[in-house]
Amino acid sequence: MLPNEIQWYFPSNIKEALKLIKQPGVILHAGGTRILKTQTKSVKGLVDIGGLDLNYIHEKGKSFHIGSAVSFGEIVKFSRETDNLKMLGTALSSAASTPLRNRITIGGSLKDFPLWSNLYAPLIALDAKVNIIGSKKNIIPIEDYVASGTIKTKHIIKEIIVPSDKDLIWGVKRFTLIRFEYPLFNIAVSFKMKNEIIEDARLVITGVRGRFKRFKRAENILNGQKLNKGLIGKCEKFITPKFIADYKYSAGYKENVAKIYFKDLLSEIAGRK
Amino acid sequence: MRLNFNINSETKELELKTNETLLDVLRNNGYTEVKCGCNEGECGACLVLLDDKPVNSCQVLAMSVRKKEVKTVKGIGTLFSPHIIQRTFAQAGADQCGFCSPGMVIASYNLLRENPNPTYEEIVEGLDGNLCRCTGYVKIIEAVEESAELINGKK
Repeated sequence: MLPNEIQWYFPSNIKEALKLIKQPGVILHAGGTRILKTQTKSVKGLVDIGGLDLNYIHEKGKSFHIGSAVSFGEIVKFSRETDNLKMLGTALSSAASTPLRNRITIGGSLKDFPLWSNLYAPLIALDAKVNIIGSKKNIIPIEDYVASGTIKTKHIIKEIIVPSDKDLIWGVKRFTLIRFEYPLFNIAVSFKMKNEIIEDARLVITGVRGRFKRFKRAENILNGQKLNKGLIGKCEKFITPKFIADYKYSAGYKENVAKIYFKDLLSEIAGRK
Repeated sequence: MRLNFNINSETKELELKTNETLLDVLRNNGYTEVKCGCNEGECGACLVLLDDKPVNSCQVLAMSVRKKEVKTVKGIGTLFSPHIIQRTFAQAGADQCGFCSPGMVIASYNLLRENPNPTYEEIVEGLDGNLCRCTGYVKIIEAVEESAELINGKK
């Protein structure tokens, strides 16, 4: 139950929804899990997007257009039925539980970006883009969406455009003590391989200071090289995530664990090839 | 306020407040087979099917489900006409104290509908949103395996 009685709105189109959320205290409602968790007293109105046409996954060229109201559960199911979207599907399959995954939507999770999100690391590693309505620029890379502060503006996410991962080498990993727990951090690695040479490497972590970090110097070390133990050792020193200490772990401890996780993930990928 | 809901294939007019969860509304209107456990989406005692998908009713705001089909454990089978899964849970002693059973049955029903021949690991994954406070998971998993065999006509 939310702390206050709520004014509900059921718009029939995105334009109407956008107009409604410009009122103070009025926010979007998709799955509603985050609203119930935060129990924010300042929420006076909810704009339900269930009636808008935002629940779809379309393949266009070499990308997938995922409507913002698509649940994590639907993405996991879709990824199991195709040869694509495996990276995103794998990452989301370990998020929360089966019933919660049926309520958490990709748009809601993207807008809220909780520290434990399983969503951002694979999306950044895949170079996904977000199509938003309400800002000057419509289609923005996920990295810029966060870094430019667009995430904090009043807008509606129409869809997320995720390139196919069919020809990518990838891996995802998350740090939890038990399976059913919010992860301390999530990591994702992706690259292309041409004649065994790495191209377009992306090493991403979320759950750090500034929400996410790409290790571009480590990526440059990987690019143009063959993946082997020596190379992994060389790029390891450029993996320097900065964490905030919490009641359980120091920042230094988390940094060391994250380094080990990257090393393990790259070694696991090297072992696969 | 009063609003129409589709519950167990019937249209019902229920009393609700605009800030209430589906769990609150169901229980306040007599659907006490939906249990209130953690109220945080962790335990699965409040599981219902919403448009045929299992959800934690404590994590769903009631106003958002007006045009959707809600199914509680009594929509799957009743005392006098139980579903195979419900009967098997009782026969296998998988209901134990009974508090988690409605949620466990809903999760099992969803799992077996999507995957009629689940492996042990798939059963564990299918029940990943359900906690048993008696910690008697062995009998619950056996009941799901047994239900799958019965549904598939292997027994």
